Amino acid sequence: MHITPEVLFEARRHFLKLGAGALVSTTALSKLLASMPEEIQLSFTKDANPLNLTPNTFEQVSNYVNFYEFSTDKTAPVKMAQSMKTKPWNVGFFGEIKTEQMMEVNDIVAKFGLEERIYRFRCVEGWSMVVPWIGFPLYKLLDYLEPNAKAKYVKFTTRHEPAMFPDQQKGLFASIQHPYVEGLRMDEARHPLTFIAVGMYGKTLPKQNGAPIRLVVPWKYGFKSIKSIDLIECVEEEPKNTWQVMDAKEYGFYANVNPKVDHPRWTQARERVLGKLTKQETLMFNGYEKEVEHLYAGMDLRKFF
Amino acid sequence: MKMLIVCLALLPLGYAYYTLESAIDPIKMLYTTTGVGAICLLLLSLVPSTCKRVCGVNFLRYRKSIGLLSFVYALLHGCVFIVLDSEFDVVTIVEKSLKKPFIYVGVIAFIILLFMAFTSFKKLFARFSTYHKAVYIALVLALLHSFWAQKVAGMFEYGIVAVGIVLLGERVWAWRKNFKID
Repeated sequence: MHITPEVLFEARRHFLKLGAGALVSTTALSKLLASMPEEIQLSFTKDANPLNLTPNTFEQVSNYVNFYEFSTDKTAPVKMAQSMKTKPWNVGFFGEIKTEQMMEVNDIVAKFGLEERIYRFRCVEGWSMVVPWIGFPLYKLLDYLEPNAKAKYVKFTTRHEPAMFPDQQKGLFASIQHPYVEGLRMDEARHPLTFIAVGMYGKTLPKQNGAPIRLVVPWKYGFKSIKSIDLIECVEEEPKNTWQVMDAKEYGFYANVNPKVDHPRWTQARERVLGKLTKQETLMFNGYEKEVEHLYAGMDLRKFF
Repeated sequence: MKMLIVCLALLPLGYAYYTLESAIDPIKMLYTTTGVGAICLLLLSLVPSTCKRVCGVNFLRYRKSIGLLSFVYALLHGCVFIVLDSEFDVVTIVEKSLKKPFIYVGVIAFIILLFMAFTSFKKLFARFSTYHKAVYIALVLALLHSFWAQKVAGMFEYGIVAVGIVLLGERVWAWRKNFKID
Protein backbone atom coordinates (compact mmCIF):
# COMPACT_ATOMS: atom_id res chain seq x y z
CA MET A 1 0.00 0.00 0.00
CA HIS A 2 1.23 3.47 -0.79
CA ILE A 3 0.98 5.98 2.03
CA THR A 4 1.20 9.66 1.16
CA PRO A 5 3.78 11.34 3.39
CA GLU A 6 2.34 14.05 5.64
CA VAL A 7 4.28 16.78 3.85
CA LEU A 8 2.82 15.91 0.47
CA PHE A 9 -0.62 15.42 1.96
CA GLU A 10 -0.49 18.91 3.46
CA ALA A 11 0.89 20.31 0.21
CA ARG A 12 -1.93 18.67 -1.74
CA ARG A 13 -4.52 20.23 0.53
CA HIS A 14 -2.94 23.62 -0.02
CA PHE A 15 -2.89 23.03 -3.74
CA LEU A 16 -6.58 22.15 -3.74
CA LYS A 17 -7.36 25.26 -1.71
CA LEU A 18 -5.39 27.34 -4.20
CA GLY A 19 -7.48 25.91 -7.05
CA ALA A 20 -10.66 26.74 -5.19
CA GLY A 21 -9.30 30.20 -4.36
CA ALA A 22 -8.51 30.89 -8.03
CA LEU A 23 -12.20 30.34 -8.88
CA VAL A 24 -13.26 33.01 -6.42
CA SER A 25 -10.82 35.87 -6.90
CA THR A 26 -7.20 36.72 -7.31
CA THR A 27 -7.07 38.45 -3.93
CA ALA A 28 -8.30 35.28 -2.25
CA LEU A 29 -5.59 33.45 -4.16
CA SER A 30 -2.81 35.75 -3.02
CA LYS A 31 -4.09 35.55 0.55
CA LEU A 32 -3.91 31.76 0.39
CA LEU A 33 -0.44 31.91 -1.12
CA ALA A 34 0.68 34.13 1.74
CA SER A 35 -0.68 31.65 4.27
CA MET A 36 1.28 28.75 2.76
CA PRO A 37 3.46 27.38 5.55
CA GLU A 38 7.05 28.22 4.72
CA GLU A 39 8.35 25.88 7.35
CA ILE A 40 8.19 22.37 6.05
CA GLN A 41 8.12 19.34 8.28
CA LEU A 42 11.54 17.67 8.05
CA SER A 43 12.38 14.01 8.38
CA PHE A 44 15.24 13.31 10.75
CA THR A 45 16.63 10.93 13.36
CA LYS A 46 15.28 11.87 16.77
CA ASP A 47 17.58 12.77 19.66
CA ALA A 48 17.30 10.28 22.55
CA ASN A 49 17.83 13.31 24.87
CA PRO A 50 20.25 11.58 27.26
CA LEU A 51 20.59 14.75 29.39
CA ASN A 52 16.83 14.82 29.84
CA LEU A 53 16.58 18.48 28.87
CA THR A 54 13.18 20.16 28.65
CA PRO A 55 13.01 22.27 25.49
CA ASN A 56 11.57 25.77 25.62
CA THR A 57 8.44 26.36 23.59
CA PHE A 58 8.71 27.11 19.88
CA GLU A 59 6.99 30.47 20.56
CA GLN A 60 9.69 31.46 23.04
CA VAL A 61 12.60 30.44 20.84
CA SER A 62 11.18 31.99 17.67
CA ASN A 63 10.12 35.27 19.29
CA TYR A 64 13.29 36.16 21.21
CA VAL A 65 16.29 36.48 18.92
CA ASN A 66 19.45 38.47 18.43
CA PHE A 67 19.60 39.20 14.71
CA TYR A 68 21.45 42.49 14.43
CA GLU A 69 21.26 42.41 10.62
CA PHE A 70 17.65 43.50 11.23
CA SER A 71 17.57 45.17 14.64
CA THR A 72 19.16 45.12 18.08
CA ASP A 73 15.68 44.50 19.46
CA LYS A 74 14.80 40.93 20.42
CA THR A 75 11.34 40.79 18.85
CA ALA A 76 11.53 43.25 15.94
CA PRO A 77 13.42 40.77 13.68
CA VAL A 78 10.49 38.33 13.92
CA LYS A 79 8.44 40.48 11.54
CA MET A 80 11.30 42.12 9.70
CA ALA A 81 12.96 38.84 8.73
CA GLN A 82 9.87 37.55 6.93
CA SER A 83 10.97 39.41 3.79
CA MET A 84 14.17 37.33 3.59
CA LYS A 85 14.58 35.27 0.43
CA THR A 86 16.06 32.02 1.65
CA LYS A 87 15.36 29.84 -1.38
CA PRO A 88 17.50 29.08 -3.25
CA TRP A 89 20.48 29.72 -0.95
CA ASN A 90 23.98 28.86 -2.05
CA VAL A 91 26.74 28.44 0.48
CA GLY A 92 30.33 28.89 -0.68
CA PHE A 93 33.10 26.58 0.54
CA PHE A 94 36.53 28.10 0.03
CA GLY A 95 40.06 28.29 1.34
CA GLU A 96 42.35 25.46 2.30
CA ILE A 97 40.15 22.61 1.06
CA LYS A 98 40.43 20.05 -1.73
CA THR A 99 37.86 21.57 -4.12
CA GLU A 100 36.39 25.03 -3.64
CA GLN A 101 32.70 24.98 -4.49
CA MET A 102 29.18 26.32 -3.95
CA MET A 103 26.28 24.18 -2.79
CA GLU A 104 22.56 24.85 -2.44
CA VAL A 105 21.11 24.20 1.02
CA ASN A 106 18.77 21.46 -0.23
CA ASP A 107 21.72 19.63 -1.81
CA ILE A 108 23.68 20.00 1.42
CA VAL A 109 20.79 18.48 3.38
CA ALA A 110 20.47 15.64 0.86
CA LYS A 111 24.18 14.91 1.16
CA PHE A 112 24.58 14.88 4.93
CA GLY A 113 21.14 13.83 6.18
CA LEU A 114 19.32 15.27 9.16
CA GLU A 115 19.27 14.51 12.86
CA GLU A 116 17.88 16.21 15.92
CA ARG A 117 20.07 17.64 18.70
CA ILE A 118 18.48 18.93 21.88
CA TYR A 119 21.02 21.45 23.17
CA ARG A 120 21.32 24.05 25.88
CA PHE A 121 21.86 27.52 24.44
CA ARG A 122 23.39 30.24 26.62
CA CYS A 123 23.57 33.86 25.51
CA VAL A 124 26.43 36.08 26.69
CA GLU A 125 23.72 38.52 27.88
CA GLY A 126 22.71 36.13 30.66
CA TRP A 127 19.66 34.29 29.32
CA SER A 128 19.44 30.69 28.23
CA MET A 129 17.12 28.20 26.58
CA VAL A 130 16.92 24.61 25.37
CA VAL A 131 16.34 24.09 21.66
CA PRO A 132 15.74 20.95 19.59
CA TRP A 133 17.78 21.77 16.48
CA ILE A 134 17.61 19.80 13.23
CA GLY A 135 20.73 19.50 11.10
CA PHE A 136 23.98 17.58 10.90
CA PRO A 137 27.35 17.67 12.67
CA LEU A 138 29.85 20.01 11.01
CA TYR A 139 32.54 17.28 10.85
CA LYS A 140 30.49 15.49 8.16
CA LEU A 141 30.75 18.56 5.95
CA LEU A 142 34.45 18.99 6.76
CA ASP A 143 35.12 15.32 5.94
CA TYR A 144 33.54 15.93 2.57
CA LEU A 145 35.47 19.17 1.93
CA GLU A 146 38.81 17.61 2.92
CA PRO A 147 40.70 20.52 4.48
CA ASN A 148 44.45 20.39 3.76
CA ALA A 149 47.34 20.58 6.25
CA LYS A 150 47.28 24.41 6.24
CA ALA A 151 43.66 24.55 7.47
CA LYS A 152 43.93 25.42 11.17
CA TYR A 153 40.65 27.30 11.61
CA VAL A 154 37.18 27.42 10.09
CA LYS A 155 35.80 30.86 9.30
CA PHE A 156 32.07 31.50 8.85
CA THR A 157 30.52 34.59 7.26
CA THR A 158 26.90 35.73 7.27
CA ARG A 159 25.49 36.76 3.90
CA HIS A 160 26.19 40.39 3.02
CA GLU A 161 23.12 41.54 1.12
CA PRO A 162 22.01 45.03 2.18
CA ALA A 163 18.77 44.71 0.20
CA MET A 164 17.81 41.85 2.49
CA PHE A 165 19.38 42.99 5.78
CA PRO A 166 18.47 46.61 6.63
CA ASP A 167 21.25 47.11 9.19
CA GLN A 168 23.80 46.39 6.44
CA GLN A 169 22.56 49.49 4.57
CA LYS A 170 23.45 51.82 7.41
CA GLY A 171 27.19 52.00 6.79
CA LEU A 172 28.85 53.83 9.68
CA PHE A 173 25.61 53.84 11.65
CA ALA A 174 25.19 50.06 11.53
CA SER A 175 24.83 48.43 14.96
CA ILE A 176 27.78 46.08 14.29
CA GLN A 177 30.38 45.59 11.59
CA HIS A 178 28.99 43.68 8.61
CA PRO A 179 29.17 41.01 7.39
CA TYR A 180 29.13 39.07 10.66
CA VAL A 181 32.12 36.75 11.00
CA GLU A 182 32.73 33.87 13.38
CA GLY A 183 35.42 31.23 13.67
CA LEU A 184 36.37 27.97 15.32
CA ARG A 185 39.64 26.17 15.78
CA MET A 186 39.73 23.09 13.54
CA ASP A 187 39.45 20.67 16.50
CA GLU A 188 36.47 22.63 17.85
CA ALA A 189 34.87 22.60 14.42
CA ARG A 190 35.40 18.84 14.11
CA HIS A 191 33.99 18.13 17.58
CA PRO A 192 30.93 15.86 17.32
CA LEU A 193 28.78 18.39 19.23
CA THR A 194 29.43 21.19 16.71
CA PHE A 195 26.35 21.36 14.57
CA ILE A 196 25.00 22.93 11.39
CA ALA A 197 21.27 23.54 11.79
CA VAL A 198 18.71 23.97 9.02
CA GLY A 199 15.71 23.45 11.26
CA MET A 200 14.29 23.36 14.76
CA TYR A 201 11.23 21.78 16.37
CA GLY A 202 10.96 19.39 13.43
CA LYS A 203 10.58 22.16 10.86
CA THR A 204 12.85 24.30 8.71
CA LEU A 205 14.37 27.25 10.60
CA PRO A 206 12.12 30.28 11.02
CA LYS A 207 13.73 33.18 9.16
CA GLN A 208 14.39 35.16 12.34
CA ASN A 209 16.32 32.21 13.77
CA GLY A 210 18.99 32.38 11.08
CA ALA A 211 17.40 30.64 8.09
CA PRO A 212 18.20 28.79 6.03
CA ILE A 213 21.43 27.48 7.54
CA ARG A 214 23.28 28.36 10.74
CA LEU A 215 25.90 27.14 13.16
CA VAL A 216 25.21 25.82 16.68
CA VAL A 217 28.07 25.41 19.16
CA PRO A 218 26.36 24.45 22.44
CA TRP A 219 29.30 24.98 24.82
CA LYS A 220 29.99 28.52 23.62
CA TYR A 221 28.02 31.75 24.08
CA GLY A 222 25.26 32.16 21.53
CA PHE A 223 27.04 34.79 19.45
CA LYS A 224 29.42 32.08 18.17
CA SER A 225 26.43 30.34 16.57
CA ILE A 226 26.39 32.47 13.42
CA LYS A 227 23.17 32.85 11.42
CA SER A 228 22.30 32.75 7.70
CA ILE A 229 25.68 31.47 6.61
CA ASP A 230 27.02 32.55 3.22
CA LEU A 231 30.62 31.31 3.36
CA ILE A 232 32.53 28.59 5.14
CA GLU A 233 36.29 28.88 4.69
CA CYS A 234 39.13 26.78 6.02
CA VAL A 235 41.94 29.16 6.90
CA GLU A 236 45.44 29.20 8.38
CA GLU A 237 45.09 32.21 10.71
CA GLU A 238 42.67 32.68 13.59
CA PRO A 239 39.71 34.60 12.13
CA LYS A 240 38.76 37.89 13.81
CA ASN A 241 35.18 37.33 14.91
CA THR A 242 32.81 40.31 14.82
CA TRP A 243 32.27 40.79 18.56
CA GLN A 244 36.00 40.62 19.22
CA VAL A 245 36.50 43.32 16.59
CA MET A 246 33.70 45.36 18.20
CA ASP A 247 35.21 45.18 21.69
CA ALA A 248 38.19 42.92 22.36
CA LYS A 249 38.08 43.67 26.10
CA GLU A 250 34.60 42.23 26.39
CA TYR A 251 34.48 39.44 23.79
CA GLY A 252 37.19 36.99 22.83
CA PHE A 253 37.70 34.40 20.14
CA TYR A 254 36.81 31.38 22.28
CA ALA A 255 33.67 32.63 24.10
CA ASN A 256 33.31 29.38 26.02
CA VAL A 257 30.46 29.44 28.53
CA ASN A 258 32.23 29.82 31.87
CA PRO A 259 30.51 30.79 35.13
CA LYS A 260 33.87 31.70 36.66
CA VAL A 261 34.90 34.25 34.07
CA ASP A 262 32.71 37.35 34.21
CA HIS A 263 31.83 39.63 31.37
CA PRO A 264 33.45 42.98 32.31
CA ARG A 265 30.00 44.52 32.81
CA TRP A 266 28.01 41.63 34.31
CA THR A 267 28.50 38.28 36.00
CA GLN A 268 28.11 34.98 34.16
CA ALA A 269 27.60 32.79 37.26
CA ARG A 270 23.85 32.40 36.83
CA GLU A 271 21.37 32.59 34.00
CA ARG A 272 17.73 33.41 33.29
CA VAL A 273 15.98 30.52 31.58
CA LEU A 274 13.48 31.91 29.10
CA GLY A 275 9.95 31.83 30.50
CA LYS A 276 11.06 31.60 34.15
CA LEU A 277 11.08 34.18 36.94
CA THR A 278 13.81 32.32 38.82
CA LYS A 279 17.43 31.93 37.79
CA GLN A 280 19.68 28.88 37.64
CA GLU A 281 23.40 28.17 37.92
CA THR A 282 25.38 28.40 34.70
CA LEU A 283 27.36 25.21 34.10
CA MET A 284 30.99 25.03 33.02
CA PHE A 285 31.08 24.80 29.21
CA ASN A 286 27.28 25.08 29.44
CA GLY A 287 27.05 21.54 30.82
CA TYR A 288 29.23 19.95 28.12
CA GLU A 289 32.40 19.92 30.24
CA LYS A 290 33.00 16.18 29.95
CA GLU A 291 32.79 16.32 26.18
CA VAL A 292 34.90 19.41 25.47
CA GLU A 293 37.29 20.19 28.34
CA HIS A 294 40.13 18.27 26.66
CA LEU A 295 40.08 20.83 23.85
CA TYR A 296 41.32 23.47 26.29
CA ALA A 297 43.72 21.46 28.44
CA GLY A 298 46.51 23.70 29.75
CA MET A 299 44.91 26.89 28.45
CA ASP A 300 44.31 29.86 30.76
CA LEU A 301 40.58 30.37 30.22
CA ARG A 302 40.73 33.82 31.87
CA LYS A 303 43.14 34.94 29.17
CA PHE A 304 41.50 33.07 26.30
CA PHE A 305 37.91 34.02 27.14
CA MET B 1 -5.13 66.28 37.59
CA LYS B 2 -2.41 64.92 39.83
CA MET B 3 -4.38 61.69 40.19
CA LEU B 4 -4.55 61.43 36.42
CA ILE B 5 -0.78 61.82 36.11
CA VAL B 6 -0.23 59.14 38.73
CA CYS B 7 -2.64 56.73 37.03
CA LEU B 8 -1.14 57.36 33.59
CA ALA B 9 2.39 56.91 34.90
CA LEU B 10 1.53 53.64 36.60
CA LEU B 11 -0.16 52.15 33.53
CA PRO B 12 3.03 50.50 32.22
CA LEU B 13 3.38 48.70 35.56
CA GLY B 14 -0.14 47.31 35.23
CA TYR B 15 0.66 46.18 31.72
CA ALA B 16 3.90 44.56 32.89
CA TYR B 17 1.99 42.71 35.60
CA TYR B 18 -0.60 41.58 33.09
CA THR B 19 1.99 40.23 30.60
CA LEU B 20 4.34 38.75 33.18
CA GLU B 21 2.88 35.27 32.83
CA SER B 22 3.53 35.14 29.08
CA ALA B 23 6.79 37.11 29.05
CA ILE B 24 9.63 35.26 27.32
CA ASP B 25 12.37 36.81 29.48
CA PRO B 26 10.35 38.01 32.50
CA ILE B 27 13.23 39.36 34.61
CA LYS B 28 14.58 41.33 31.66
CA MET B 29 11.07 42.58 30.88
CA LEU B 30 10.64 43.88 34.46
CA TYR B 31 14.11 45.47 34.36
CA THR B 32 13.26 47.21 31.10
CA THR B 33 9.79 48.39 32.15
CA THR B 34 10.93 49.79 35.50
CA GLY B 35 14.21 51.19 34.17
CA VAL B 36 12.74 52.86 31.10
CA GLY B 37 9.88 54.16 33.28
CA ALA B 38 12.26 55.66 35.82
CA ILE B 39 14.40 57.42 33.18
CA CYS B 40 11.46 58.73 31.16
CA LEU B 41 9.79 60.13 34.29
CA LEU B 42 13.08 61.61 35.45
CA LEU B 43 13.41 63.40 32.10
CA LEU B 44 9.77 64.48 32.30
CA SER B 45 10.34 65.92 35.78
CA LEU B 46 12.82 68.35 34.20
CA VAL B 47 10.30 69.54 31.62
CA PRO B 48 8.10 71.86 33.82
CA SER B 49 10.85 74.36 34.64
CA THR B 50 12.08 74.37 31.03
CA CYS B 51 8.49 74.89 29.94
CA LYS B 52 8.14 77.85 32.25
CA ARG B 53 11.30 79.51 30.97
CA VAL B 54 10.80 78.78 27.30
CA CYS B 55 7.06 79.21 26.79
CA GLY B 56 5.87 80.68 30.04
CA VAL B 57 3.52 77.82 30.86
CA ASN B 58 3.67 76.86 34.51
CA PHE B 59 3.46 73.15 35.26
CA LEU B 60 5.74 73.36 38.26
CA ARG B 61 3.03 72.10 40.62
CA TYR B 62 3.29 68.64 38.97
CA ARG B 63 7.07 68.41 39.22
CA LYS B 64 7.14 66.75 42.64
CA SER B 65 4.61 64.07 41.63
CA ILE B 66 6.54 63.21 38.49
CA GLY B 67 9.81 63.05 40.41
CA LEU B 68 8.30 60.80 43.08
CA LEU B 69 6.85 58.52 40.40
CA SER B 70 10.31 58.26 38.87
CA PHE B 71 11.60 57.27 42.29
CA VAL B 72 8.88 54.58 42.61
CA TYR B 73 10.02 53.10 39.28
CA ALA B 74 13.68 53.26 40.35
CA LEU B 75 12.77 51.56 43.64
CA LEU B 76 11.00 48.74 41.81
CA HIS B 77 13.99 48.51 39.44
CA GLY B 78 16.24 48.06 42.48
CA CYS B 79 13.85 45.44 43.85
CA VAL B 80 14.12 43.46 40.62
CA PHE B 81 17.90 43.58 41.04
CA ILE B 82 17.83 42.41 44.66
CA VAL B 83 14.87 40.01 44.66
CA LEU B 84 14.69 38.43 41.21
CA ASP B 85 18.14 38.92 39.71
CA SER B 86 20.31 38.37 42.80
CA GLU B 87 17.75 36.34 44.80
CA PHE B 88 18.68 38.11 48.07
CA ASP B 89 22.25 36.82 47.83
CA VAL B 90 23.94 39.63 49.76
CA VAL B 91 27.45 38.61 48.76
CA THR B 92 26.76 38.80 45.02
CA ILE B 93 24.76 42.01 45.45
CA VAL B 94 27.68 43.73 47.20
CA GLU B 95 30.23 42.18 44.88
CA LYS B 96 28.31 43.17 41.75
CA SER B 97 27.65 46.66 43.11
CA LEU B 98 31.31 47.25 43.77
CA LYS B 99 32.89 45.49 40.79
CA LYS B 100 30.60 46.36 37.93
CA PRO B 101 30.68 50.07 37.08
CA PHE B 102 27.34 49.98 35.35
CA ILE B 103 25.72 48.73 38.54
CA TYR B 104 27.35 51.18 40.96
CA VAL B 105 26.56 54.05 38.63
CA GLY B 106 22.93 52.96 38.89
CA VAL B 107 23.16 52.57 42.65
CA ILE B 108 24.55 56.12 43.07
CA ALA B 109 21.76 57.52 40.88
CA PHE B 110 19.25 55.63 43.02
CA ILE B 111 20.71 56.99 46.27
CA ILE B 112 20.34 60.54 44.92
CA LEU B 113 16.70 59.88 44.06
CA LEU B 114 16.16 58.30 47.47
CA PHE B 115 17.56 61.39 49.17
CA MET B 116 15.35 63.64 47.06
CA ALA B 117 12.24 61.57 47.75
CA PHE B 118 12.88 61.74 51.51
CA THR B 119 13.42 65.47 51.48
CA SER B 120 10.57 66.30 49.12
CA PHE B 121 8.02 67.07 51.86
CA LYS B 122 7.40 70.60 53.06
CA LYS B 123 9.53 70.84 56.17
CA LEU B 124 12.60 69.10 54.84
CA PHE B 125 12.30 70.52 51.35
CA ALA B 126 12.85 74.04 52.67
CA ARG B 127 16.15 72.94 54.15
CA PHE B 128 17.37 70.64 51.39
CA SER B 129 15.94 72.07 48.17
CA THR B 130 19.28 73.48 47.05
CA TYR B 131 20.72 69.97 47.11
CA HIS B 132 17.98 68.86 44.73
CA LYS B 133 20.22 70.15 41.95
CA ALA B 134 21.84 66.73 42.34
CA VAL B 135 19.05 65.45 40.09
CA TYR B 136 21.29 66.46 37.17
CA ILE B 137 23.99 64.11 38.42
CA ALA B 138 21.38 61.39 38.89
CA LEU B 139 20.15 61.90 35.34
CA VAL B 140 23.62 61.71 33.80
CA LEU B 141 24.40 58.57 35.81
CA ALA B 142 21.07 56.97 34.91
CA LEU B 143 21.68 57.61 31.22
CA LEU B 144 25.18 56.14 31.49
CA HIS B 145 23.71 53.14 33.35
CA SER B 146 21.18 52.47 30.60
CA PHE B 147 23.90 52.80 27.96
CA TRP B 148 26.17 50.30 29.69
CA ALA B 149 23.40 47.81 30.36
CA GLN B 150 23.02 47.06 26.64
CA LYS B 151 25.32 44.93 24.55
CA VAL B 152 25.20 47.79 22.03
CA ALA B 153 23.20 50.97 22.53
CA GLY B 154 20.16 51.23 20.28
CA MET B 155 17.76 53.96 19.16
CA PHE B 156 16.15 54.30 22.60
CA GLU B 157 19.46 54.87 24.41
CA TYR B 158 20.59 57.50 21.92
CA GLY B 159 17.11 59.04 22.02
CA ILE B 160 17.02 59.56 25.78
CA VAL B 161 20.57 60.93 25.75
CA ALA B 162 19.48 63.44 23.10
CA VAL B 163 16.48 64.51 25.20
CA GLY B 164 18.73 64.73 28.26
CA ILE B 165 21.22 66.94 26.40
CA VAL B 166 18.43 69.29 25.25
CA LEU B 167 17.02 69.63 28.78
CA LEU B 168 20.40 70.12 30.44
CA GLY B 169 21.61 72.36 27.60
CA GLU B 170 18.61 74.65 28.01
CA ARG B 171 19.51 75.05 31.69
CA VAL B 172 23.11 75.93 30.94
CA TRP B 173 21.93 78.41 28.35
CA ALA B 174 19.38 80.00 30.72
CA TRP B 175 22.00 80.20 33.46
CA ARG B 176 24.49 81.93 31.14
CA LYS B 177 21.89 84.45 30.03
CA ASN B 178 21.08 85.31 33.66
CA PHE B 179 24.74 85.69 34.35
CA LYS B 180 25.23 88.21 31.55
CA ILE B 181 22.30 90.37 32.66
CA ASP B 182 23.68 90.51 36.16
